[in-house]
Amino acid sequence: MSSKPMQFEQMTLSNGLVLIGEINPSAKTAAVGFFVRTGSRDETPEINGVSHFLEHMLFKGTDSLGALEVNEAFDRRGAQFNAFTSEENTVYYASVLPEYLLEITDLWAELMRPALRDDDFDMEKNVIKEEIAMYEDTPTFDVIDRCRTLHYGSHPCGNSVLGTVASIDGMTADQMRQYFARRYAPNNMVVACSGNFDWGRFCATVEARCGRWQPQTVDRLLKDFEGTRASERLGKPSLNREHICLVHTGVSAQDPRRFAASLLSLIVGDDFGSRFYWDLVDKAVAEAASMHFGPLDGTGIFYNYLRCSRVGVPRVMEIVTGIFRDLLRDGISEDELTKARNKVLSSLVIKNELPMGRLVDLGFNWMYLGQYRPVEDDVEAVRAVRVEEVNTLIRELDLSRFTQYSLGPAAA
Amino acid sequence: MEQKTDKYVLSNGMVLLGEPMGGVESVAFELMLPAGAARMPEGACGAANVISDWVFRGAGDRDNRQLGDALDGLGLHRSDSVGSSHLCVGAALESSNLAEALTLHADAILRAHLSDEEFAPARQLALEGVLAVDDEPRQKVMLELRKRFYPAPLGRSTLGVIEDLERLDAGRVREIVRTRFDIGRTILSVAGKYDFDAVCGQVESLFGACESLDSGAVRVGTRTGGYTHIPNEGAQVHIGVMTDAVPFTGDDYYDIRVATSVLSGGMSARLFTEVREKRGLCYAIGARYHSLKDAAGIMCYAGTTPDKAQETLDVIIAEFRRLAEGIGDEELERAKVGLKSSLIMQSESSGSRAGAIGSDYYMLGRVRPLEEIKERIDRTTVDSIVEALKRQPFESFTVVTIGPREVRVE
Repeated sequence: MSSKPMQFEQMTLSNGLVLIGEINPSAKTAAVGFFVRTGSRDETPEINGVSHFLEHMLFKGTDSLGALEVNEAFDRRGAQFNAFTSEENTVYYASVLPEYLLEITDLWAELMRPALRDDDFDMEKNVIKEEIAMYEDTPTFDVIDRCRTLHYGSHPCGNSVLGTVASIDGMTADQMRQYFARRYAPNNMVVACSGNFDWGRFCATVEARCGRWQPQTVDRLLKDFEGTRASERLGKPSLNREHICLVHTGVSAQDPRRFAASLLSLIVGDDFGSRFYWDLVDKAVAEAASMHFGPLDGTGIFYNYLRCSRVGVPRVMEIVTGIFRDLLRDGISEDELTKARNKVLSSLVIKNELPMGRLVDLGFNWMYLGQYRPVEDDVEAVRAVRVEEVNTLIRELDLSRFTQYSLGPAAA
Repeated sequence: MEQKTDKYVLSNGMVLLGEPMGGVESVAFELMLPAGAARMPEGACGAANVISDWVFRGAGDRDNRQLGDALDGLGLHRSDSVGSSHLCVGAALESSNLAEALTLHADAILRAHLSDEEFAPARQLALEGVLAVDDEPRQKVMLELRKRFYPAPLGRSTLGVIEDLERLDAGRVREIVRTRFDIGRTILSVAGKYDFDAVCGQVESLFGACESLDSGAVRVGTRTGGYTHIPNEGAQVHIGVMTDAVPFTGDDYYDIRVATSVLSGGMSARLFTEVREKRGLCYAIGARYHSLKDAAGIMCYAGTTPDKAQETLDVIIAEFRRLAEGIGDEELERAKVGLKSSLIMQSESSGSRAGAIGSDYYMLGRVRPLEEIKERIDRTTVDSIVEALKRQPFESFTVVTIGPREVRVE
């Protein structure tokens, strides 16, 4: 790992807003992010999609800043900026040259109190519906989204992030304003910064904008869930391959077993060298086969994605269930674990060399664990995982039980 | 910013380039073999894609499984790809594993087993890859666009075509490997943490004895161009538009790059503003500059529901044409800052630096220092850009749509 440890700083404003920073004076850039603990799992069916829609609306400006001015303000400083919304987080981030960090931090802080104008809301509905249509035409994404919803059943983690055309059409700007007031409270957010920047000036910038925000009572229903283990298929005339998603119940972002879970997903379904790779892709039985671990707040899933011909499905499923059965019976080998460990460790090195790569871990570790974890702690945790821990996890999860969703050609 | 490029040329002509980066523990390398899609023989479209898989199915002393396990054990982030001119293999990794990774890659390039048994799955995966892209219209529309925009065979699909892939056999593809893996015209680039003397010594011993081949030049045909619609019962019409631009090697290159940034550099750029912000026509809209060695264009993608497709295309084309009418001073400044800043951000990643220095060398015969690129960007003015656009106006557009409805193209 890098020779000198990063310097970590943290402070909490009186309204509960947490500021964290990891300073690396030798970096060429800095990255800043506003992490809001809200997403589709915090929505009711009536306003499904509001978190993501709201993320778009933050770019439309404030009472004193119009949408075009916002975009110009970012671009004038050459910022690489964007935002994303998941089941449980909305994150706004920018990567910039160090000389622009404070201005961009100030801009984001200003945008966190948006105008949410009616005419912008109406225009942006069109864009949101286009985004929904675009993902409908992206089966690799669509099948995973549908499978997650099927797996979680009535659990709020099954809520679609984008919402549906109907829920977006039916939503009012007032409903969004109320949701915003409840969720974008300072005590429900973290502001993180990584790379080459001055901590004191960063804090002063954030405090000047955010210090007067009022805290709210914010909660989230946390419950684990077994999963429905249902199975569904949808035929579409536009498709010619079978896209299969299998979802397993996993472990949460707070669970100490998460390191073993992430190693397990690489052993089973990394793009190269995994069990899926050798038994499915190498032999060209499936063209794509992967497993990913998705830790969430208080719950978690593994999702597997497989792509093959329609006629190849029975063979693919036989091999996949065979792999799950063998794992349960025989466990993993020492050699498999070593390889997976090397992959995780080299990913950590490569990702953390960029302030932007570091920012995401920095923010999420605080969101989920309420603590700072230097890269070295994650490296140590990955190194410490033993074969028996992964095998115990396999027995506890029982990979033979999963929810399945398939998208493929409409029946002839 | 201190920057230097290491360079070493083997007696057979192979070029080794390096860019050391401070403060990183990773290194990335890329081997560019002159065996891209355009360099495949007629009737063998897709062979490069088969080859990029087949060469790793056993090489040197290791069989398929042993080679895979050895690569896997190094924790590589592999970045193999097939482009128009080159087949590239490479990876990012922890620097202590570089020597072993280079040895394994040299085995795959020089001593691949290329067995009949492993040919079948390699070809099958390539075939399946072509079929899979039919399900991803966003990707497919850009492949179809390049195919029609560039004169054949430069724009050939890097995935291949079904008919050619079905006709390929192991003997034919082995012959392609033998004649196209021209080490004398191969470029190896490394960026990050490495010891250049050690890499030179190793590369000399791995590749130094290879004879240079005369793998010949690509004979360029004509452009198809025009408008093509591919019917598809999806939710959106996926629109690809491409128009001529000066290549990487041309005098007006920086003016055209800045002009493209005015059009689509950031969220305040013209396409995003006019198509998405003001009219709400699309979620995804963007244009980028794309260059081969001797031909280049600006390619634009937009995805929109059928009712809005015509208006989307009309607005895009109008924006391309409006560029030559002039650019605001602030607009120009934003475009320049955006280009320079993304350049510096990319230079922080060893993987993107290794790719960039290899590509510079292939295109220009040298690696441009970042300072030079910044200086050339700074030197562009509204006048110089407008003049460049007058020398090569955006007149004709190659257009491809995939979706449930056609559009009208003038």
